[in-house]
Parts: sequence; structure tokens; C-alpha cells
Amino acid sequence: MLDRWTNGVIGCMGRLARSRALRRALAAALVAGLLVLAGCGGSGGQPAAGDQAAGGAGSSGGEQGVQTVTLRAMTIGKPTERYRFDNLKDAVERLNQKLEQEGANVRVQLEGTHEDRPWDEYKQRFILAAEAGKAPDIILSGHEDVAPWAAAGHIVPLDEYVKDSPVYRDVFPTLWESVTLDGKIWGIPQDTEARPLYFWKSHLKQLGWTDQQIAQLPERIRSGDFTLDDLLDLAKQLQDRGIVPAGQGFWTRPQPGVDFYMFYLAYDGRMQDPATGKLVLDQEALLKEYRFFARARELGVLKPSLLGTDWSIWHRTVTGKQVGLFVGGSWQVAEWQDQYGLTDADVQDLGYALLPAGEKGKPGVTLSHPLVYMVTKYSQHPDLAARLILEATNPEFNTRHAVESNHLAILKSQLEQPEYKENRLLGDLAYMVEYAGFVPLHAQFGNYDQAIYRGLSAVVAGQMTPEQAVDTVVKQLQAQLRDEVIIR
Amino acid sequence: MSRVRRMVEPAAGGAGAAALAAARPAAPWCLGAGFLLPFALVVAVFFLVPAVLTVILSLTDVSVATGLRGFRWVGLENYQRVVTDPVAGLVLRNTLLYVGATLTLFNVGLALVLALATAFLPGRWGGFFRAVWLLPRITPSVVYVLMWKYFAAERPYGVINQVLAALGLPAAGNWLYEHPWPMVIAINGFVGASMGMIIFSAAIQAIPREQLIAAQVDGAGTWALVRRVVLPQLRWPALFVAAYQTLSLLASYEYILLATDGGPGFYTTEVWALYAFHTALSNYFGNAQYGLGAALATVLVLIGLVASVLYLRFFNFRQLTQQPRIEVS
Repeated sequence: MLDRWTNGVIGCMGRLARSRALRRALAAALVAGLLVLAGCGGSGGQPAAGDQAAGGAGSSGGEQGVQTVTLRAMTIGKPTERYRFDNLKDAVERLNQKLEQEGANVRVQLEGTHEDRPWDEYKQRFILAAEAGKAPDIILSGHEDVAPWAAAGHIVPLDEYVKDSPVYRDVFPTLWESVTLDGKIWGIPQDTEARPLYFWKSHLKQLGWTDQQIAQLPERIRSGDFTLDDLLDLAKQLQDRGIVPAGQGFWTRPQPGVDFYMFYLAYDGRMQDPATGKLVLDQEALLKEYRFFARARELGVLKPSLLGTDWSIWHRTVTGKQVGLFVGGSWQVAEWQDQYGLTDADVQDLGYALLPAGEKGKPGVTLSHPLVYMVTKYSQHPDLAARLILEATNPEFNTRHAVESNHLAILKSQLEQPEYKENRLLGDLAYMVEYAGFVPLHAQFGNYDQAIYRGLSAVVAGQMTPEQAVDTVVKQLQAQLRDEVIIR
Repeated sequence: MSRVRRMVEPAAGGAGAAALAAARPAAPWCLGAGFLLPFALVVAVFFLVPAVLTVILSLTDVSVATGLRGFRWVGLENYQRVVTDPVAGLVLRNTLLYVGATLTLFNVGLALVLALATAFLPGRWGGFFRAVWLLPRITPSVVYVLMWKYFAAERPYGVINQVLAALGLPAAGNWLYEHPWPMVIAINGFVGASMGMIIFSAAIQAIPREQLIAAQVDGAGTWALVRRVVLPQLRWPALFVAAYQTLSLLASYEYILLATDGGPGFYTTEVWALYAFHTALSNYFGNAQYGLGAALATVLVLIGLVASVLYLRFFNFRQLTQQPRIEVS
């Protein structure tokens, strides 16, 4: 009876939904509902930068028949990453000069802001603006957003603007792979980075290591002579000798993020099937990763309460040299210097290497997460928006961003820039790009990530054994992703 | 002449008077409808329409990846996913624990204690303490939770651990992560207790003084006074506070979101409303599932309705709201 009633209702709704007018009205109503929901879940009544950024492109008539087009952009990052927006702003002049030389009767100006806010809030703001048809012309986000946003029709492919540009040949080819979906380019890389394993040289000296041994550590990790198990043993020694407090021998980042996939990759895990594009869960690799974290907890080198620690406390603890070995982003060194009082002497004391492999003889790993500019479907001038991004993508502009924020070069020509060459950290980290993996481009990656991160949280907190956690993750992925995930 | 006056003034004879007499029974209905219309509109626009939209959304696979234009109708598939979700049972247990403990210990329990305690204080002091207990409610939630976070943080940042260390006691780690449930319940409870406190205080003050004096004359001590005279008269306010706060707690997640974000570990403090929020509107990599989130929200509405019915039956709502049989002057 219930089935009959349900089928009747759903059938009726299906017929109604096939009406285009009704679908439009429903879409508008749903947008309104979501906006109300988002407003309820928001964190305050302060006018957000995204509101200023929203609104789509506008244009106005200027002098002598020259029309001025206003483009709007949304970018995110720390204050040290302000060039994500400022490079676009400074590119306006370059673009306008070219337009003038071409005899075009249009000029560009840029509006919008650079936001320092949580990623999920930033993305939610963009999605709501996009569904309401008020998205900015240019959005900067992680490359993994290409998949869901392209599927939803929020962004446009950029091949026609990019392929003939000198920028196309200058960008490292692997970065184009990170924004290519279904054979089309959907974004233009803005920056990339490595996620090193950091250590304090002075700590290792206290342990009795010689300068030579310390200098050789990155190479030992690169060659596979020093593994993740060795990392835990070293962390334990640092604690046992009282160099760092208990539970602080080895730390990862304290919040969700792509860094954790480095451990999965270190145990030969695969995230995507190249043939079908489906997500892959390698149970053996995940089990090894979870067992590594369980061992870290059992040894007492990693606090069970680490995941969830406030970022500001995390930064203060690691920069206070209270943690032995820790995984962080290359960009965080700039943040530590800018906001947490890390001195030049401290930076000299900071050592960095790839994350060790899980098994001896295999090279270390890192993970790169390129941020990319995308042009939205809602832009009335996608050609100008794409050209503005390409103007902002040049060795001088990208190098000043890289040096200011400790991000790696995205252009081959940046490696020849004097400022880039002078930066010890960037020079030292450059080789890591060769060992970098990327997270997959797949519309359901967010759900895949959430299940794996929650499983890891359970292991770190000591709530589940690694085996139980893998079993739970598999069940969750099968229930949520169904045939979009291959369980191996 | 206003329409209201025309309705109530007697007409001056003839056919007009007969017509008016015939129309008279409809007048109060029109007047009532006129007054109710603005409220009915508000209820429809802000309560009914979102509820209907949520149910409609829950029958689709709408998500970031489909956009609001490319979704499919999937019938009850989302509800099927909720039922078979390996995490749903844990989240439901968390919700029952959170609502039950916060309601019992703070929203009704502590509120009642505070109301009784302040009732026995001189008027000005009672008012002062009630005002102090309102502070958490008027503090912005982000600031309030941030305060708790620094209160509970590990050494050397946390206030609790600094105090323990100063007293020579062993300091713990982060209290919020080592004892998440007591902390989450306390964070919410300190805000929620103030509402019940005010309602119970008002109810206590409304008890005729003669009853209290008579009981004292009959030899009742303070405890007997509270148990035999005050508490029986608080049944109706207690029903209201319990029912209202149950529904509020079922739907509230903002303090948990800010304090633990459902952690630490495996959905340790994830309650149903937060699970719906995470699913529908907040995903680190952006693919929020609006349809599935709406199904979760709809289930929450159903749980709320069931809880309301149970409350009304348990407290015998009909008897509580009927006209008093004896008028005491």
C-alpha cells in the first residue's frame, strides 16, 4: 500500500518535473531555501567578501566609445597569499595595454577580494552564488573542484584560450594534467606546493646526530633507506630523551586535508582507476596506513587528541620546537614567519624531506594540491576573464607569490628568476615535485575523503582497530558511492 | 466608519437590520481571520514552505555535482540510504544522549535548581543571579565557544590546566577532546538553562502566597514546601520547557560544530542535525549532497513530531489545559 502510494506520488512529481517551467521555478525556490539554510548555518552577520565578489560581470560606457568591463574574482588564502588576488589586479594593466594595442574598444577593471576563511565556507559561498546565477567571473579553488563544478556546469572549459598561449608551454605539464577532465582543460594553475616532513636539526644534534648525518637524512628518505617505521623510532627517541614532550614526537596536520593521502601513497595506495576514472580503495594500503597511525598512538609519539586540535595551538606548538617530526605544507614556513615569530635562525634550523616510504627501498613521497583559477559559466565575458588569468600567469608575478608564500614554481621560466633562485627553501624543495601525487578529479571525491578521514580519526583516537576502521570505510563507500568506487 | 464598528453596531430596523442579523454570525470569524492572516502568512512562508521544499529535495539526488538543474528524481532512495547508512545508528544514539543529558541535567534540571534557589533569595539578589545566568545566551556563539576552547585547551594554553598546575595537581590534555561529551553537554547546557530558569521563576512567583503561608502554618519545612506545593504547580511550565527544549536541541548543532565539529575520532559527538549539515552544506572537498541532507533533515522533523506527541501524552496535556473546576479567590 505504501509502495503504491509512494510510486504514485513520485510518478506524479516526475511528470511535473518534466515541465521546464516548473523545474525552473523549483530551482529558484530551492536556491532561496538553500540561501536561507546557509544563512542559518553561517558564522555571523558580517558582510562577506563573496557578496562583494558576487554579481557577475558588469560593463559601462567610457570615453570615446571605449567600454569598461568590470570582472569579479574570488580568491582565498592567508595574508601571505594575497598575490592570488593581487596578481589578477596587476594583470589588468597588462591586459588593457594589449587591448589598446589590438585596437579593441573594451577595457577591463577588477573587483572582488581575497578571503582568509575556512575552505568549506568559501566553497559553499561560491556554490550558492553560482546557483543563484551571481557567481563571479573568476574563482580560485583547489584543482579537485574541477570535477564537481564542471559536472554542475558552473565552470567553462578553457582550451580555446589556453592552447595557443605561451603560458601553456611554460606551465609544468603535470599541472595541466591536474586540471584536465574528459580531455578538456578547466582551470589555469595558480600555484603548487610540497608537503614536507619537517624536523629540527638542533633536536637531532641533541640526540647525537652529526651534521653530516642530518644533511643526509633527506637523501636517505628519497632513496628509501629511511622508512615510516624509522620515522616512528626516531620520534620515540626524541621523546625518550626528553627533547620533546610525550605525545609530540610526530604530528600530522590537525584538521582534514589532502596531506593524509601521502601515507596511503607511501604504502602504494591508488586513488583512481585510469581506465574508468572511478575512485579506487586499496584495502591493503589503507590497512597499512591505519596500522602506522595505530602504532604511533601505541608508542605514545602521537596524541590521540591530535586530530581536532585548534590550528593556532598547532602552529604555536610546532614553531615553539615542541614537536619532534611533523608534516606540514611548504607554504606554512611563510605563515610561521609572518604570524608565529619564526626567526631566520629558526628557519636555518628547520630541516625538511619527503615523507618516507612505507617499505625499504621505495622512494619517499609528497602530495601536490595545485590551486587553479577557473572561469565561471555566469561570466558575461569569459574571453576577457581567461585572458586576464593568462596575463596574471607570468614568471615575475608567480615568483613574487611563490617567494612571499613559499609555494613552488608552476612555470618552468620561474626557475630562472633571481628571486626564486635566491630562496633556499624553494630551491631545496624543487625536487619534490617529481615525487608528488595528486588527489583524483572525481565528482564524488569529497564523500570518499570524508569516509577515509573519519576512519583515520577513529584509529588515532583509539576507538577502532585498523581492521575495524578499514571494514567501516569499505561499508560506507559501498553504501554511498556504489559503482563509482572500486574496492580492491 | 470602520468595518469593525459596522459589525458591532445595531442596525436601524427594516430589511437592512434583517440582513445584518443574518450576517452577524460570520463577523467574528472574519475579524479573527483578519488578525490571523499576517501570522498565517509568516508561518506559511517561513515554516511550511521550507518544510515542503525539504521533503521535495529529499526525493532528488541534487548535489553540487548535479547543480540545481541537472538533478534526478530518485524517490525514496535517499531514505533507503539513511536506513542502510552504517553511521546512522551511531549518530542517532549520539543525538539521544545529547538531547536527553542536556535536557535533564541543564535545560530542566539546572534551570529548576536555579529558579528555586533564586526564589528564596531577596528580590534584588535573585534578579542579579538570574541576569548572570543569562550571559551565555547573549554572548555570540562563536565567541562563547572560543572561550570554552581556551578554557579547555592543553597546557600551557588552557585555563583549567593552568589552574590545576598552579594547585600542584596533574594537568590533563585538551579537556574538549579527552572528555568530549561532558564538555559538549555543558557548553550547550549553560546556554539552555537560562530559558527554563526564567519560566520556572515566573511560575514560582505566580503561586499565591497564601498557599505557601498555609503550608508553613501547617508545619511544612522548605523541602516539603518545594515538593508538595511548588513542584506540583510547575508541571505545565515543565511540559513547555521540556517539549520546547527537546525540539530546539534536536535541531541545534552550532555549538557542537564550533567546539568539536562532531569529533574527536569517529563521529563521537556527531548529532543528527550536524550530520545533516555536514552532508548537505559542508564538505571539505565541496561535493555537498543536498538531497541526502534533506532526507536526514526530514527524518529529524519526524523524530521531533514523535517526541512532541509523547510529551503531550506523558504530561496529560488535555488535563493541564482544561478550565479549572474550582475558582480560588
